[in-house]
Amino acid sequence: MRAYLKTAAMSAGTVGDSPLFLLDYALRLLRVIVLLSLWRAILGNSTATGAMPLGAVLTYTLIGEVFAYQLEARTSLPNAFWEGTIVLRFLRPMGLVRQFVAESSGVWLVHFALFSIPLLLLSPLLGVDPRPASPLAAVLFAVSLGLGILVGLAIEVLFAALTVGFEQPVWLVHQMRMAVGTLLSGSLLPLAYYPWGLGELFSWLPFASTAWAPLAIFTGAGDPLRLLLVQVGWVLVLWPLTNRLWAANREKVVGYGG
Amino acid sequence: MVASVRRVFELWGLYARLDMLYVLRGPQIALSFYVSDLILGMAAVTAMFLLAQRFDGIPPWSRDQMLFLLGYALLVRGTIDVFFNYNISFISRRIGRGQLDHVLVQPQPLWMVLLTEGFAPVTGAGMLLPGLLLIGWSVEQLQLSVTFAWLALLALSLACSIVVVLAFSYAWGSLAFWAPRSAEELNSSTWQLLTQLDVFPLDPLPTLALTGLLTFVPAGLVAWYPARALLGIDASPLGWLGLPAAALVLGSLCLFIFMRGLAHYGRTGSTRYLSYGHRR
Repeated sequence: MRAYLKTAAMSAGTVGDSPLFLLDYALRLLRVIVLLSLWRAILGNSTATGAMPLGAVLTYTLIGEVFAYQLEARTSLPNAFWEGTIVLRFLRPMGLVRQFVAESSGVWLVHFALFSIPLLLLSPLLGVDPRPASPLAAVLFAVSLGLGILVGLAIEVLFAALTVGFEQPVWLVHQMRMAVGTLLSGSLLPLAYYPWGLGELFSWLPFASTAWAPLAIFTGAGDPLRLLLVQVGWVLVLWPLTNRLWAANREKVVGYGG
Repeated sequence: MVASVRRVFELWGLYARLDMLYVLRGPQIALSFYVSDLILGMAAVTAMFLLAQRFDGIPPWSRDQMLFLLGYALLVRGTIDVFFNYNISFISRRIGRGQLDHVLVQPQPLWMVLLTEGFAPVTGAGMLLPGLLLIGWSVEQLQLSVTFAWLALLALSLACSIVVVLAFSYAWGSLAFWAPRSAEELNSSTWQLLTQLDVFPLDPLPTLALTGLLTFVPAGLVAWYPARALLGIDASPLGWLGLPAAALVLGSLCLFIFMRGLAHYGRTGSTRYLSYGHRR
């Protein structure tokens, strides 16, 4: 355990190596402002109807950005493939996925402190109530977020195995996963507002378990029991599949250097 | 002048053949590049499309006007992918990795290499077709009268939008001349800044945020501003003159910064081939 904590701490220390994260913060803040303005324009008039009231949608948008890293389960796995440092990780006396989880946790904590908490503090200025629908919703949100991270990590490793297995360019697969994931997970827009029943359909897919489920629980937009059961189901289905695929493909990893 | 233009077309032909050869290595490569571009493009606009469909538009834009905005945004990205691929539009990577030397040693002017070397009409064309289809569909639904003047305005707007995106990318990317290691991936962030925000109708934004998105982070100039002029939402002279003026200002600013960086690079060079270089 100490080794993983140390890894997390070392990883947290690398955030300041490049100032690029400031541009990422600018993008995230601008995206929140734009999305909040759009929702006010859409739902602000009385004729527009929807599955969630305006206040809940605004909270959903804000909390979605506050926990963006966790909801995306963003790790340094694609970068490790790209830079060839995955090879070094194989040599360490630690579990591979656990190494990435430890590294990600360190980075997530720094970004949570530097961006997410200030964003929460800004919420009155943005006109958003960041509180959960109820105290129970807050507790269930924490459980759901944990399950969502587990599903997200399984998807991350699954795509890594497929990248290696099909010998596809790392960033190509990563960008596709992020693009499709953003659409299907409900991290940008609540699934409740998708037309033609697509939201209901998407809510059964694993991507929805990463973002829609915890955010819907937080805002009271969905049935917590059903959402949690779907999440547990995907954890139970995805991890054995992911482990099997990774075990079958891990020896095909080739590092060329950058 | 005529010789330069002829040379540009010759080089485009050459790079088109190379791009085609790359794809002909096998269907797996062709499919992965084309399909991934298609998926990336569609995913980028689908969320806004679904929202516009759900509410029959996003005030004050109707659903079909939103389709035009999304199609235009895709067309800008697709055209950049076709003409400025292979990291030409992500110049910080070329500079940070010391690959600008590969450009400078060529017996061509720098501008000509940057204009031609990224030509990828096959691997980069994944977003063009959806963009054109969306524009065509929305023009039909909106019953816009497509005159020669309108098409000329569309072409001018497209060119100016591309200049805005590239100017923003090169202005920031030039920082890699001074900080090759930490700024090498800078253009990934600047690209995301523009492309994640260019599909939104920005009308409901507070004035301060809107001003920021038309100046410091000119995402509004990529698709929203020109789409307003092309759809007649903003019929004022500023509506169609503002974008070329902004492109001129941003282009000049970018040129100034890039040339300053290049002059610095001329004195310091790249560390790529040194034993302590970060890309060694």
